Amino acid sequence: MIRRPTSKPLSFRAKRWLENSGWYTVMIAFALITALPFFWAGLMSVRENSASIFRKNKPPQIVPYPGWIGWGEGYKIALKEGGYDVDSNEATKDRPAGHWENYGPRYEKKLQGTWLEPYTFPVTTQNYYKVWNDINIPRYFANSLVVSLAAVFLNVITCSLAAYPLAKLHFRGRNLLFSLLLSTLVFPPQLLFIPLYVMAVKVFAFENTFHGLVLPFATSALGIFLLRQIYQSIPDELLEAARLDGASEFGIWRRILLPLIRPGVATLAIIVFVDSWNAFLWPLLMLSDRDMFTLPVGLAFLRGFFSGDLRTVAAGIMIATIPMILFFLAFQKQFIRGLSGAVKG
Amino acid sequence: MVTSTESVTQNSTARRRGGMSAMERRRTITAYVFLAPAFAILILFLFIPLVQVVYYSFTDYDMLRSPHWVGLENYQNLMHDDLFWTSLKRSFIYLSVTPVLIVLSIALAIIVNRPLRGVNVFRALYYIPVVISAVAIGMIFNFVFAEPAGLINGLLRQLGLIDTPIHFLTDPDYVLPSIMAVTIWRGLGYYMVMFLAGLQAIPEELYEAAAIDGANKLQQHLHITVPQLRPVITFVAVISSISALRAFDEIFILTDGSGGLLDSGVTTMFYLYRQAFRFLNIGYAASIAVVFTIITMIFSLINLRLLEGRADD
Repeated sequence: MIRRPTSKPLSFRAKRWLENSGWYTVMIAFALITALPFFWAGLMSVRENSASIFRKNKPPQIVPYPGWIGWGEGYKIALKEGGYDVDSNEATKDRPAGHWENYGPRYEKKLQGTWLEPYTFPVTTQNYYKVWNDINIPRYFANSLVVSLAAVFLNVITCSLAAYPLAKLHFRGRNLLFSLLLSTLVFPPQLLFIPLYVMAVKVFAFENTFHGLVLPFATSALGIFLLRQIYQSIPDELLEAARLDGASEFGIWRRILLPLIRPGVATLAIIVFVDSWNAFLWPLLMLSDRDMFTLPVGLAFLRGFFSGDLRTVAAGIMIATIPMILFFLAFQKQFIRGLSGAVKG
Repeated sequence: MVTSTESVTQNSTARRRGGMSAMERRRTITAYVFLAPAFAILILFLFIPLVQVVYYSFTDYDMLRSPHWVGLENYQNLMHDDLFWTSLKRSFIYLSVTPVLIVLSIALAIIVNRPLRGVNVFRALYYIPVVISAVAIGMIFNFVFAEPAGLINGLLRQLGLIDTPIHFLTDPDYVLPSIMAVTIWRGLGYYMVMFLAGLQAIPEELYEAAAIDGANKLQQHLHITVPQLRPVITFVAVISSISALRAFDEIFILTDGSGGLLDSGVTTMFYLYRQAFRFLNIGYAASIAVVFTIITMIFSLINLRLLEGRADD
């Protein structure tokens, strides 16, 4: 007979339950610390007015219900007239296209008198429309994507090429080049930003170009190390056999090695992508043309642009971060494997 | 016999003198072709700038006129620049995020290493801040720290714990600790994943043996987990302290690009940024970069020695 865990003595189960709930408490506490700032920004981004969520001697307004929902112009008119509905084909200068409707009263009626009522507040989409309309966030998004993907592509190519001879070929100067490469890891990139900046401005005219954001970071010594490690784990016999069959070194690299090091390439790609996507100082130095902004530079700009209007800034942050969170959730395994791979390597 | 040995010796000396066999030559050429793209970029954007920054540090340069040699003047000025020394002190205060990060992220890794139901959800959640840019995080924390209605001040006031708001970003004494808290919050998930990988590499038998010997959970962690994790701890200590010394984005965003009231958030990195790219004192900033790099390297070496030395006993 198979003993099921439920048949264990009660005291054991009680003890385990107690222990597990202790761990869950700690995990939830940490989860709250991680998640609360995001939720807070999320709450700010849908507020109709700037009155604070926390109030002295009154319950906090933390439960949202639909209020002024809509898209387009005419929000202010809607507030006065109780609604706004102008199609794009009937729009005039005074009455531009937009649709706004207040769902608030419907829900207020339902909530009235319930214990939940003092905790609720109406939600609006106005802040999102405003930031979407005034700041070209999709454009910044596309810029960031182009720059990051280009950086990934170049890093993968240059690192996977350079790591191969360092791992598998015996040639003159290998040790020298390898120690040269090692030494570069010691220098902080910030040391280089000053001469790089001078070079970028005076020699290459990198300002307001995408290649100016990518080229200085198109390879990475760390990436070469990472891939070298993986090449080394491939048996030499495989290469010898291919050479006897008359394959060229490039052919061996392209057809045999590249498919074999794919997990390492994925790790490198993720590390480079996240670094490049989040890069701030270099793009800040290079970009002054608003159309060329990457997302972090655009966000920093947005903050100055709407300085007083925190709700709109919050909406901008949400638009910028949610896709990245979704992207992470979709590729969670690869992200985490990538990082732990970096430790083991 | 004698002749054949001689010929072998001759042959090998000839090769040592530079005569490569055709195959050897071809292999070397192939190797350099593979290395060329990466090294072209490294030479252009790393080795040349490295030489340049040292050169600039001996000049007076504002990018308008050509660099003008001043010898050690920048370094002499640096010695008497109070703000530089204060900023250096702040950079080292900033380093105290490292031990906090290590302890917290090991604890977190131990917790999420347990085979609990739904533990993957928590792991993912803790990791999310890593993929968000420091700029967005800085802006979110502007709301968190805001007064009087930010998350923390609002909550504390709601609970009746405070009457006057805490000036997280406007009191010079609180600016740096507040920004450091953001750095810790942001890095926790990142290092947690590293420690998790380290934990999963520890053989289960070690714990079983210790349990048989009567060691409790805490003793097990102290005598098995920590020593086994030592290589990862060393690695994390080095990279997290280097990134703490280089922290910039959070400081820039949370102080509105100003460095904070009375320069209270000015670390050496921020000072370097200001001198170089705000004031265009390229020569002076280069001397800051050189000195700071040397200090960082010495610090990393000591750090490595201490951590690895302790592992020996």
